[in-house]
Amino acid sequence: MLVVTFSATGAGNCVEVAGTPYVYARTRRDGSDGFVMGARCPHRGGPLHLASVSEDGARLVCPWHGGRVSLARLRRQVPAVRRGDTVTAVFAVPADTEATVRHVPVSDALCAAPPVRVRGLPEPADTAAAPKAAAGTAG
Amino acid sequence: MSHSLPAYRPFELGADDLREAVMRYATNPLYLDNDEWLNDDNPYRRQLRPQVLRHLDFSTPPARADILNYPSLAAQRLLTAIYEADLVFLPKSGLGDRAEDFKNFYSPGNRALGETIRPALERYAFGFLDEEVDVSGKWTKDTFLAYLESLEPTMTGGPSKTAQAILSSTDRERAARMWLIQLAPDFLSEASPMIRNVLGHYGQPQSEWFKIIIDEYGYGVHETKHSRLFERTLESAGLRSDLHRYWQYYLNSSLLLNNWFHYLGKNHELFFRYLGALFYTESSLVDWCRHAVDTLTEIFGDQVDVTYFTEHVHIDQHHGRMALEKLLLPIVEEHGEGVIPEMVRGIEEYRALLTVADDDFSAQIAWMDGQPEYNKLHAPVYEAITSGRVKPPLADIVEPFGELSNTHCHDGDELCHIVSGTMKFVSGFDSHLILEAGEGVVIQKNRLHGAIIESEECVYQIYSVGDYTSCLS
Repeated sequence: MLVVTFSATGAGNCVEVAGTPYVYARTRRDGSDGFVMGARCPHRGGPLHLASVSEDGARLVCPWHGGRVSLARLRRQVPAVRRGDTVTAVFAVPADTEATVRHVPVSDALCAAPPVRVRGLPEPADTAAAPKAAAGTAG
Repeated sequence: MSHSLPAYRPFELGADDLREAVMRYATNPLYLDNDEWLNDDNPYRRQLRPQVLRHLDFSTPPARADILNYPSLAAQRLLTAIYEADLVFLPKSGLGDRAEDFKNFYSPGNRALGETIRPALERYAFGFLDEEVDVSGKWTKDTFLAYLESLEPTMTGGPSKTAQAILSSTDRERAARMWLIQLAPDFLSEASPMIRNVLGHYGQPQSEWFKIIIDEYGYGVHETKHSRLFERTLESAGLRSDLHRYWQYYLNSSLLLNNWFHYLGKNHELFFRYLGALFYTESSLVDWCRHAVDTLTEIFGDQVDVTYFTEHVHIDQHHGRMALEKLLLPIVEEHGEGVIPEMVRGIEEYRALLTVADDDFSAQIAWMDGQPEYNKLHAPVYEAITSGRVKPPLADIVEPFGELSNTHCHDGDELCHIVSGTMKFVSGFDSHLILEAGEGVVIQKNRLHGAIIESEECVYQIYSVGDYTSCLS
């Protein structure tokens, strides 16, 4: 097994393992479904990191030939954990397999905003009533 | 005749109901402001500053960037009081005149009010972790083991940012004491959150976990109980060891870290997450304790009792292995690989919280060490205000002799300007400035502080400047 750490976004957001590039992606609007996916289309090797999401939200659509790849399958592909902007992924290849980290652009459809609020909670009430220096008097 | 039932509605408080319930809990006399900086051997008194809580909204969790703001500190203080009503504390010097406080703290009324607001406060306090950590993909036992092995370098290595902050402080003894104070909420009731996980009945792993607890509790020999060892560390470093004596000096992140373990232990749907955290804690404590011994000995010399830490250097070599071989892996075998993502999440959440705590503590030591500079910054910032270059919101305050503003922090930089009288401005344990008329101090965002009036009356102003550096150009 090979364990690789790379960035979720920005420089170093792609790790290439055994000839396949992988990126961290999020497709749901609330950003709740971060996962590591192979960035090469199984059809003709198109740039899946630039894919759009199908209307039913269940597949990625490759920009080259419109090939469709199941998101459920992609999400199972690589066991990974993201903490902040750091992704740790485990690949089913020998531990001494070479891994190179580089940058690739990622489509907007795969960069959904992270969840900044816990889902299912009521919207905040008006907090304008808090007075100046509400956190304390002296200092 | 109809037998239809109303639809099940999970318990949830809306924003207004939550605010009212928080106020109802926190206006208990146990939780009002103290006239002194320290609690004197009274484990039931915890200053929650209810006068401010009415202005806070705990219904929407803050983003990661805002977790050191005041509402989070308030939430952590509330949660500490609520969780610890499950634990037994008695004053070291006997119950005496604290019997009423004892009854009040453990009363069904206080506990019920706390439990009512706990779920919402937990969402507020720990909700940012949903953003901070996610686990994905199909995990197997083999990929899990490879991941755990890859953590090895993160669990060993050089001194932490916290240790570096202490060793490079302009007042190393003060910084070290401030650090020991941060550890006290956890170490004086050590393993209590963990014990929540050995109640019930779940097979062999339960007994394995119990073995770890037996070690933590010193095999029934009180002088070897880990919390007792830590009492000796505190006392040898010139501190007292009564519970929450230094409540007002706890940082937001110190309570966050300790409360997180209670959160995982109290909510058993997070049981597997706790297991991950247990593995990482026990495995990483060996090196962490080694550095603690070095740091404390370098600062206090041989007078400091570091047995607490040397004991962990030894026993946690076993506990890390025991956690993996006797707990995590058998539980994966028994309950399936579907529990692995929660274990991974527990590890990574704990790592995220360690970073928060390291950064928060280091910033607080820099804030304490930097008081002379923040004092000097008053002049140019005040000049920017009086010249009209900046027009921040202003609060005019008049307070009498002895008025103690219990410690708190602000969500942006502030300028404190003394119009008349004398204020003792406190920026941490054993750290203060005396401010006279015409003087003041820049108060840095998120930094813990408080004040006491030392003249018959003090008239002062608080300018909410937001970012003080914007006043200097």
